[in-house]
Amino acid sequence: MEKITSRHFGIPNSHLLETYRKDGGYEAARKALTTMTPAAVIEEVKKSNLRGLGGAGFPTGMKWSFIPANNPKPKYLVINGDEGEPGTFKDKYIFEQDPHSLLEGIIITCYAIGSHKCYVYIRGEYIKSINAVQAAIDEAKKANFLGKGIMGTNFDLEVVVHQGAGAYICGEETALLESLEGKKGFPRLKPPFPAVVGVFGCPTVINNVETIACVGPIIAKGAEWFAKLGSEKNGGNRLFCISGHVNKPGVYELPNGTTLRELIYDHAGGIPNGRKLKAVIPGGISAPLLTPDQIDVKMDFDSLKAIGSMAGSGGIIVMDDTTDMVWAAMVAARFFAHESCGQCSPCREGSGWVYRQVKRFYDGHAKPHDLKNLPGIINNIGGNTICAFGDATTMSIGSYVSKFRQEFEAKIKNDNFVPTA
Amino acid sequence: MFSADYIKDMDKILSKYDQKRAALLPLLHYVQGKEGKITPEAEKNLAEYLSEPVVHIHEVVCFYHLYHQEKQGKCHLSVCQTTACALRGAEDLIGYIEQKLNLKPGEVTADGKFSLDVVECLGACEIAPMLQYNNVEYKGFLDKKKIDEIIEKHK
Amino acid sequence: MPTLTIDGKQIEVPAGTTVIQAADKLGITIPRYCYHPALPVSGNCRICMVEIEKQPKLQIACYTPVADGMVVHTNSPKVLESRKTVLEFLLVNHPVDCPVCDQAGECKLQDYYMEHGQYDSRLSDVKVKKEKKAFSIGPTVMLDQERCILCTRCVRFSDTITKTSEFGVFNRGDHSQLDLYPGKKLDNNYSGNVVDICPVGALTDSDFRFKCRVWYLAQTKSVCPGCSQGCNITVEWDKMRPHQQKKARVMRLKPRHNPEVNDYWMCDKGRYNYRFIDENRIQYPQLGDEIISWDKAIDTVAGAVKSLKNTNRIGVIASAQLTNEDLFVVRKLFKDTLKGSQIEFDAPQADGDDFLLKADRNPNTAGAIKILDAKGNAQEIIEKAKAGEFDVLYVFGVNLIKLYGKDVVAAIAKKVKLFVYQGSNVNDTCSYAHLNLPSSVYAEKEGTFTNCQNKVQRIWQAFTPLAESRGDWQILSLLSSKLGTELTYKNSQEVFQELTKQVGAFGDMSYEKISDKGVTTT
Repeated sequence: MEKITSRHFGIPNSHLLETYRKDGGYEAARKALTTMTPAAVIEEVKKSNLRGLGGAGFPTGMKWSFIPANNPKPKYLVINGDEGEPGTFKDKYIFEQDPHSLLEGIIITCYAIGSHKCYVYIRGEYIKSINAVQAAIDEAKKANFLGKGIMGTNFDLEVVVHQGAGAYICGEETALLESLEGKKGFPRLKPPFPAVVGVFGCPTVINNVETIACVGPIIAKGAEWFAKLGSEKNGGNRLFCISGHVNKPGVYELPNGTTLRELIYDHAGGIPNGRKLKAVIPGGISAPLLTPDQIDVKMDFDSLKAIGSMAGSGGIIVMDDTTDMVWAAMVAARFFAHESCGQCSPCREGSGWVYRQVKRFYDGHAKPHDLKNLPGIINNIGGNTICAFGDATTMSIGSYVSKFRQEFEAKIKNDNFVPTA
Repeated sequence: MFSADYIKDMDKILSKYDQKRAALLPLLHYVQGKEGKITPEAEKNLAEYLSEPVVHIHEVVCFYHLYHQEKQGKCHLSVCQTTACALRGAEDLIGYIEQKLNLKPGEVTADGKFSLDVVECLGACEIAPMLQYNNVEYKGFLDKKKIDEIIEKHK
Repeated sequence: MPTLTIDGKQIEVPAGTTVIQAADKLGITIPRYCYHPALPVSGNCRICMVEIEKQPKLQIACYTPVADGMVVHTNSPKVLESRKTVLEFLLVNHPVDCPVCDQAGECKLQDYYMEHGQYDSRLSDVKVKKEKKAFSIGPTVMLDQERCILCTRCVRFSDTITKTSEFGVFNRGDHSQLDLYPGKKLDNNYSGNVVDICPVGALTDSDFRFKCRVWYLAQTKSVCPGCSQGCNITVEWDKMRPHQQKKARVMRLKPRHNPEVNDYWMCDKGRYNYRFIDENRIQYPQLGDEIISWDKAIDTVAGAVKSLKNTNRIGVIASAQLTNEDLFVVRKLFKDTLKGSQIEFDAPQADGDDFLLKADRNPNTAGAIKILDAKGNAQEIIEKAKAGEFDVLYVFGVNLIKLYGKDVVAAIAKKVKLFVYQGSNVNDTCSYAHLNLPSSVYAEKEGTFTNCQNKVQRIWQAFTPLAESRGDWQILSLLSSKLGTELTYKNSQEVFQELTKQVGAFGDMSYEKISDKGVTTT
C-alpha cells in the first residue's frame, strides 16, 4: 500500500527541510502556485473526496468553497492541532516527524482560499510538536517557502504557531477560534459558520492537521489517484490510532476500507495474554462502542455511520474481556464531566450528573430506579446543546448502558446508601 | 507594569496576532514560564498591556488547565487517567505515586520537590500508561519501577 | 418585510428580528433565562427552544432570525419536553432555597417549573457545592453562587451597559462559578440593576433582603423624583402587612421599561432613595411648636395674605419637586388670584454621571420653568426677604438652609411676618419656619413631571397621604377657597386639562395620550 501522510515517519531527520526536499518536497506547492488557479485547486481537492480527518468527516473541498468570493475581509486558514479526542495521537506524528508536509499543505490551501495568514493551533501539552513546527517554519522562511513572494511568485504567506492551554473543547472548531482570539473556549452559536465569520470576524477555513497534510500529495499526484485509494465517498488513506488492550499500539496508515478486525488483529497484533475482545471504541471516545460481532465494519465515515457509530478522529481503543464496562463508562463519563466547557445548561449540569450516577453504579450504590432513569437522562443531554460535545456525551455513554446493560444491572445493590458530599 | 525586558518579548509575541486580545494565551504561557505561576499582579499588567478588563484575563486563567495560580513542584507529574491509559493500569500507578510521595492530586510536597496532577488524555495512548513530566516530556509504558526511577532522580 | 406564523398567529416584522422578539410582539411569551432584550444574545440556557416547521431539530428562538413563511410552534409536545429537560438539568444542582430565598414569588425557576416542569425529581446524587453563599459583593448586592444558573446576564450587563466588567464566570463544567474579579466590589451607580435582570435568587438586593415576600407587594407606576432624567419606575409597597417593617409602606422601587427615557434601568441613587416616603415626614400642621388643625392652619395663612393682594409683598419659592399640576395651582393662586406675588423656584444640583443620573436632581425643572415662567434660582427672593420686602414668604419643600445657610434663613425668619414651609419631610429649615404644612410625597400623588428632554410623564397614586399630609395643590385649593376664589378641580386630571389650555408648551396633551410612556412637549 502506498503511504501518503506517514511516508516519512521513521526516516532519520525526517523533520528537516533537506530531508523533505529529497523526494519532491514543496514541488506540489510550486505546481499549485505557478500552474493552477485557486479555483482549480479547490476543484481538485473536491474531486479527491478528501474528508475532514479531525472527526466530522466534512468534505474538505466543499468547506473551502464556502469562503465568500467577494468578501473584502482578509481570509484565514487555521489548523486544528488540538488533538484532544482520547484514543487519538496521529497529528503528533505529523508535527514531530513531518512538519514540512503540513506546511506544504498549508501553502496550497492558503493559495486556494486566498489567505495570507495561517495559525497552527497546537494543544498546549505538545511541546515537542510546537518546537518542531516552529523550527520547520523557520527553515521554510529561510528557503523562501514562506514569507514574502514565495518561490518567486507574488504570493505572501505567514504561518504562526499558537500554543493551546489544556481544554479538550478547544478542538471544536468555533471554540478553537474563540481560544485563538484570547477567550475561553466557548463554542459559538451557528450560523454564521467559520467560512463566513471565523477568526477576528473574517472568513476562515479550519481544518485538521492530517487533512491538510493530504493536500500536497493530492496536488502532486492528482485527485483521481487519491479518490481511488479510498472507498466510494471517502478518498485516500487514514492514519488510524489504535491503543488499549492490543499488542502493538500505534499509528497505522491504512486504506479507508480497512475493517476493524484487520486493524486489531492483522496490524495491531491482536489482544495480549490470550484474552478475548469485549468492546472497542472505533473513532475516539465520542464514538459509540462496538461489540465483537460488529468488527467486520469498514473503517470509513459512511460505513461506521451506518452501524450506529462514527469514524470520528480515527482513534481506536480496544477493551478485552477483563474490562468492567461500568468502570469503563465511568472513566468516559468522568472525561466528559471534566471537559465540558460549562456554557450551556444541558451539557454543563448533565455531564456532571451522569458522571456522578455512573460512579455510583461503579461504587455499588445504585438502585433499580437508577437504571430505569439513566438512559433517559443521558439521552436528554444531546440534541439540545450549542455544540456536538453534548451529543458526544449522549452517544458515547449511552452506548455503554445500552450495550452492556446487564453489567449495570449486576451493580444494583438496593442498599440504604445515602450519598454525601 | 511589566519590566522593559518582558515588554520587548511580549511585543514580539503580540506582533504575530491581528487583534491584541488574541495574544493572551501565548502571553500567559510566557509569564508563567518566567514566574512559575500567574499572579494577580501579572493579570493586572496583562489587562493593561492588552487593554482588556482584568476579569476576562482571570476567566481565561481559570478556564484552561495549563495555567496555574500556585507554583508547582520542581518535578511536576501529570498522569493521564483517560480510557486507554486507564485500561493499561493508570489507576494503580496513580495510587502508587500518591502513596509513595504522600501526595494527593493538586498538591505540592512540603519540600516543594514534587507535585501531582491527574489529567485527561494527553494524546499518547500508544505508550499507555503514561505521564507528562514538568509539562514538557512524555514518559510512557510506566510501571512501578519506572516511577521509582523518576522519583529517585528528583528527590 | 418577512411575515411568519407563530402558534397560528401571523405577524409581519422587520428583517433581522428573532423569533423570540416576534413572539413577544404577538404577546406570546417564550420562556427565557439568558435572553434579555437590552443585552447581546448568549443562547446558553436552551429553554427558549421552539419547533420550526421544515427544520429537523428544535431551534433557540432568541437567536433564530425570522424568515418569510416560517411557521413556528412554541407549545408542541417536542418543545414542552425540551423545556422539562432543561429545567431538570438546571434544578439538578440548584439548592432549592425557596423558603429562605428573596426571589421566591418572582423566580423564573419556580415559575417555569410550575408552568412547564411538574415532574418528579430523579436526583439521587449530591449537588455540586460552590464557594460563596449569602456573600456580599458590594454595598447593594448579595451573591449566591449555588443558585446561579450561569445565564451570564449580569456578565453581559457589566460588560456592555455599565462597561465596568465586574463579573466573570470562572472554571469549567458544573464547577463553573459566577463571581467578581477577586478583591473587586460591585459598587457602581447601577449595581441594583443586576438584581432586576437575575432571573433567580443568585443576585439579590441587600436592601430588600428578608424584608417582604413579593406576593404581599402592590405595584404602582410612577417616575423617579431623584433627577431630571425621569426614569420610569414602579413603586412596590406592602399592601397586606402594615404592621411589619415599622409600618413603612414602600418596600422597594423597580425600574419600568421606557425605551426613550431609561430603557430597563435606573441608578442606585434613585432606586434606594425611597425611605423618605415613610420616614421623617412632616405629619401635622404646626404653628411654632403647636400642632394645629388644618382649618386653623389655612385660616392663619389666609389671614396673612388676604390684604397683600397686588402689593408685591408675597414671596414664593416653589420647588422642581412639585408636579406640573401643583405648579399650575401655585401660579393660579399666587399669580392670578393674589397678583403681585414674586414667584421663583429652586432646583438643587449635584453630580451627574454619563449614563442616566443628571446633575439636576429634580424631576420637574422643565415643568417649573414653563409653568411659572421662572429661572430656577430664588436668590433674588432670598435677598428681598432678607431686606424685609416681604410680609409672607411661602416655601414649597426646598431646604433653604442647605442652599443659603443658617444665618440667611434665621435672618429671613425674623424679617417676614409669616414664614410658611409646605413640604413632605422634616429638615433644618422647618424649625425656622413659622408655620409648617405637611404635604404628600410623589408616591401619594396623581400628576405629571416634565423631564430634561421635555417629556411629560405621569405618576400614579400608590396610597393615601401619610397622617395629616395632603397634596400640594389640594392645600392651595383650600387656601384659595378661604380667599374667596373657588378652584373647582375634582382631581389632578382636571388641573392638567386646564393647564394644557393655558401653558402653550403642553399643547393638546391629555392623561390618555401620556399614558405610561410619556409625551414630549413642544
